[in-house]
Amino acid sequence: MESSTSIIEKGKKRLQMVILIGIPLLVLLFLISIAFGPVRMTLDETYHSLINIINYGPQTGHERIIYYLRMPRVLAAFTIGIGLSIAGAVFQAIIRNPLVDPYITGVSSGAGFAAAMAMTSGLIVASVSANYAVPVAAFIGGLVAFTFTFIIAESSGGRAINYVLGGVIVGMGFGSLTTIILIMSDDRVQRILLYLFGSFTGMTWAKLWIILIPVLVLCFIVLLYAREFNVILLGDEQARQLGLNVKRFKISMLVLASLLTSLCVSFVGIIGFVGLIVPHTARMIVGGDHRLLLPACMIIGALVMALADLIAKMAYVPIELPVGAIMTLIGVPFFAYLLIRRGKEYAT
Amino acid sequence: MPHDNGSMISSNDLNLYYEDYHALRDVFFDAKPGELIGLIGPNGCGKSTLLRTINGLLKPSTGVMLVDGKDVHKLNLSEIAKTCSNVPTEFPPDFNLNVIEVVMMGRYPHRKGLWWETSDDEKIARDALQKFEIDHLADRNINRLSSGERQRTLIAKAYVQEPRVMLVDEPTSHLDMRFKLEVMEYIRDLMEKERDMTVVIASHDINLMVKYCDRIILVKKGRIVGIGTPEEIVTEINIADVYGVECSVFKDPTGEVIVHPRCSLRFKD
Repeated sequence: MESSTSIIEKGKKRLQMVILIGIPLLVLLFLISIAFGPVRMTLDETYHSLINIINYGPQTGHERIIYYLRMPRVLAAFTIGIGLSIAGAVFQAIIRNPLVDPYITGVSSGAGFAAAMAMTSGLIVASVSANYAVPVAAFIGGLVAFTFTFIIAESSGGRAINYVLGGVIVGMGFGSLTTIILIMSDDRVQRILLYLFGSFTGMTWAKLWIILIPVLVLCFIVLLYAREFNVILLGDEQARQLGLNVKRFKISMLVLASLLTSLCVSFVGIIGFVGLIVPHTARMIVGGDHRLLLPACMIIGALVMALADLIAKMAYVPIELPVGAIMTLIGVPFFAYLLIRRGKEYAT
Repeated sequence: MPHDNGSMISSNDLNLYYEDYHALRDVFFDAKPGELIGLIGPNGCGKSTLLRTINGLLKPSTGVMLVDGKDVHKLNLSEIAKTCSNVPTEFPPDFNLNVIEVVMMGRYPHRKGLWWETSDDEKIARDALQKFEIDHLADRNINRLSSGERQRTLIAKAYVQEPRVMLVDEPTSHLDMRFKLEVMEYIRDLMEKERDMTVVIASHDINLMVKYCDRIILVKKGRIVGIGTPEEIVTEINIADVYGVECSVFKDPTGEVIVHPRCSLRFKD
């Protein structure tokens, strides 16, 4: 039968596999994440609490912990994992460099600086919406940094390397400003550092919706362009020659991915590594075709981020470890293993 | 206006400036359906620039480029992609793509669905893999191909675009003599089957162009200084004038024209 060797059928089957394996794992990790915390519950208790919450709303103390603290937290971890992984995959394809991560256009440094400013300047902290001052500042800071990078890159030729160099210098500029703020704000250093390393504490349903919906919408748009991302891998001139408006596509995707990154860092801070390794991991598992790669990135990204958060809150109860550091710690050996196993074919 | 007398490619009095650099000067030529045209000339003479005006990547400052009877600069990118395909010299470092995936990308201009190619697309790609004898490599990572195999993959990708015109830039520069001949044989063979497709090849390998091309275009400093059969164009006088090289042009025992460069005129005397 010809269909058994068809690459299209094979692609569709593999996509089904990714989803069929991924979704149960996500559900399992969701249950584990809402069961574990400083207050422990068995999986059985958790399951019953969940049923009660769905039917009657949160009532007992345990149900309240699950509903108000743990559920938004694990869903936020899924969302940020998805967002940063997709942003990483977009930047790696557009900039055509395997070392690129979502923070390449300076978004993280801009967000970090703006967040630090918001935390130290009395004006913003004293304002009515103190709860949202830091995220809003960080979001704007991220976009401002991207705008600087964009202007520098476009006026120096607009090629991938111009974006890398522009992003690096803008990032260094904001990084230095953040360092100065850190030195000058001795009593708030702890809080600023926590943001700079990233944390999911203090996540609420209200905050979750603010990031969840736009992140999913932006990721959906990226998914629609999976074929265009494949074509761009052949190089700008080939892509253009195949009928893709390369300039317009690149600029719109750079803006979109920077927006996505800014959203991700706004509430939870700067979580590194995930946007770098998840796209590579997915590529080694499912290959370079973005129709498989992007969905795989979403699932793997959500899984590793929630797993990292679970370890961050459980490893050293009651003290929470920074999720960014945990992320890197579990990522390094896993990535090294993949690289050793598959790296020979994976010659970028 | 260039006359459209059944030409596949025709340009009349075409000029192109890069800022103040006059890259193409009064270019006038035409190519007929089914012709294999060799574009020769020294480094920087404008061969690649000329190829890029044919497929619409560069817009001429004056004059018109007609491809298949249409002004290529009035077509949108997707229409150009269905008319003209090109085979690049180099392949960028990849992100884990295999041969069949690269060849299938040639179907991008003909896309119908949003995400997946159709089974017709796949059939066309599979046929191309067979035609260029790379079907056994379908699932091979393109990083693990030899230069000759990679070149055939790129030609297959350009071929499944189903173009009227195929542009090939330096197809043989990294290849040993056997692969050089084979790539040209594949292109010749392709043209036997697609009788009205025009192929334009830019190359530094004059002997190879003489052997395979129907006509040769000789380019010097952005100007076309000769169009004709290989024997008309590749002469000792023309080579000396355009390349600044003293050479012997002779026929080998089988009757093929051979160019043998002897010395650069700069070092003579």
